[in-house]
Amino acid sequence: MDKHSYHDMWVYVEHDGNSVQPVSLELCCEIRKLADVAGEKLWAVIVGELAKEELARVLDCGVDKLLIVRGEGWTPFSVDAYTQLFTELCREYRPSAVFVGGSIQGRDFAPRFACRLPTGCTSDATELVYDPKTGDIEFIEPAVGGKMMAVITVPEMRPQVGTIRPGTFRYSPTGPRCCETVYEERSFPLEKIRAEILDFAPDQEDDSLNLADAEVIVCIGNAVKAEALPRYRQLAQLLGGKLACTRPVFDRGLLPFKLVIGQSGAVVKPKLLFSFGVSGAVNHVTGLSDAGCIVAVNKDPDAAIFHYSDYGIVGDMDEICDLLLQQLEG
Amino acid sequence: MLNILVCVKQVPDVNLVKIDPETGSLIRKGVPAILNPYDENALEAAIRLKEHYGGTVTCITMGPDQAEEALRECLAAGADRAVLLSDRAFANADTLATSYVIASAARLLGYFDLIFCGKESLDGATGQMASQLAERFDASQLSCVAEILELDETARSITAKRVLENGTERTRASWPCLLTVEKTNYRPRIPNLKQWKASRKAEILRYTSRTIPGLDPEKIGDPGSPTKVPRTYPPQVGERGRMLCEESPEKTVKTLLGLLADVL
Repeated sequence: MDKHSYHDMWVYVEHDGNSVQPVSLELCCEIRKLADVAGEKLWAVIVGELAKEELARVLDCGVDKLLIVRGEGWTPFSVDAYTQLFTELCREYRPSAVFVGGSIQGRDFAPRFACRLPTGCTSDATELVYDPKTGDIEFIEPAVGGKMMAVITVPEMRPQVGTIRPGTFRYSPTGPRCCETVYEERSFPLEKIRAEILDFAPDQEDDSLNLADAEVIVCIGNAVKAEALPRYRQLAQLLGGKLACTRPVFDRGLLPFKLVIGQSGAVVKPKLLFSFGVSGAVNHVTGLSDAGCIVAVNKDPDAAIFHYSDYGIVGDMDEICDLLLQQLEG
Repeated sequence: MLNILVCVKQVPDVNLVKIDPETGSLIRKGVPAILNPYDENALEAAIRLKEHYGGTVTCITMGPDQAEEALRECLAAGADRAVLLSDRAFANADTLATSYVIASAARLLGYFDLIFCGKESLDGATGQMASQLAERFDASQLSCVAEILELDETARSITAKRVLENGTERTRASWPCLLTVEKTNYRPRIPNLKQWKASRKAEILRYTSRTIPGLDPEKIGDPGSPTKVPRTYPPQVGERGRMLCEESPEKTVKTLLGLLADVL
């Protein structure tokens, strides 16, 4: 494969017709910078119709080229259709890199079209660096539970495919550039879609589950005892804040997924965050990077969470919680 | 009869892995190797299907000889057959090369209606194996399955409840189908002593690169892996925050609240 015959960086724009997923806009902004360094163009790939105002938001990220795919078989999303679409588009247009938001959809189809092409696929990079010597992108990501950082490259194959988690990069549009639009008319045969959505029940709008705008958060980690949960809820209420947790707490079935903070969950920006019994794995703390003041309580003095905190207390989480409740009430 | 394949991996317990501060490399010595936690949930889901509908569960892994231990765990939990793909030529494989070897070997074992794998591994954690295995098996794909609702053996389809970012979906997919399950409803069972003992004696099928016919040497191990790891380094961690420690927890909390006065 002559990798030098592959040019331009693509971002797949995930949308539902009305609104674009924030991660796609974050990616457009970040890949804009990367493409400038590499001297390549930034393409936004949009499948299906998208509302005008939302299209303007995509363009505002400085996109050079819009590739708009029109036709049958793209809505609703299916892994079968999108895998085939991206395989074909990559073979015809030869982009040097394709970036896909690390949503459930993105993580379902991006590694699959990479496999079909075939080419290399990386996931969850937290930093992207263009190496002018090799022309390769360095995908830098936490590895081994965040204990080390690994640099991943795809030195011989193209395109370089990467899924990136929501909230990894900032949405910081630099304004529209002169943009060309290319329309692709193509369809996917419905009978080739092997998974049929029977119904979809949207989650109830429940403000207690919306962490994005919370000013105070009480976050509990895997050390929490199930029976102690109410007191942390009480502390959150007393502080006028919201209860949140780490992924293992959700896995234990104690709290809903919407309350998970971290790479695979919510990215939060409270003024104050209390962290109880949280070890401080990278996957979790990436969701805290915009938090104001962080107070960590953990019985392990070596817990990594203390390195991300403003104040740390080594002690029994339940005891500290009870004391906070007492002193705040008193 | 229902034929189920569960793809598993033996991983170091990363919670116990330390980093050598001098070299920045991993200290694996003394770190136990375990069956990847998400794989246990995948296996549990497969075994429950077998218990309900009949059929067989085969577990397959690629790894060094020690990975046999992970397979014996699967057998103790109720898998019928275990397959180890072990060869130095398989080393340094990324997900593309690994999925190729697993799918190539699985063809020797029969046709699988359902394939399960863990959502992600504890060590690599790319979460890419499911999609790439689905591609290799030319299977439909159901990720984030909270509950398997129905299997229709005549129509050869499976219906499952998937938990997505903003709601819950019921989806029906045709066989062969690759599934990843969420942990909540598929807690792994704990085998009894008799099952453990039986698993010790069970035979494990073994394949190498030479005993899987037609395996392309360019598609396995390092040569077959388009992603490379040119270097690693320790993460930059900031200094610890201010540690509060007064003579009693009461006083510590009081000090804390004093410090937080302007934020609260």
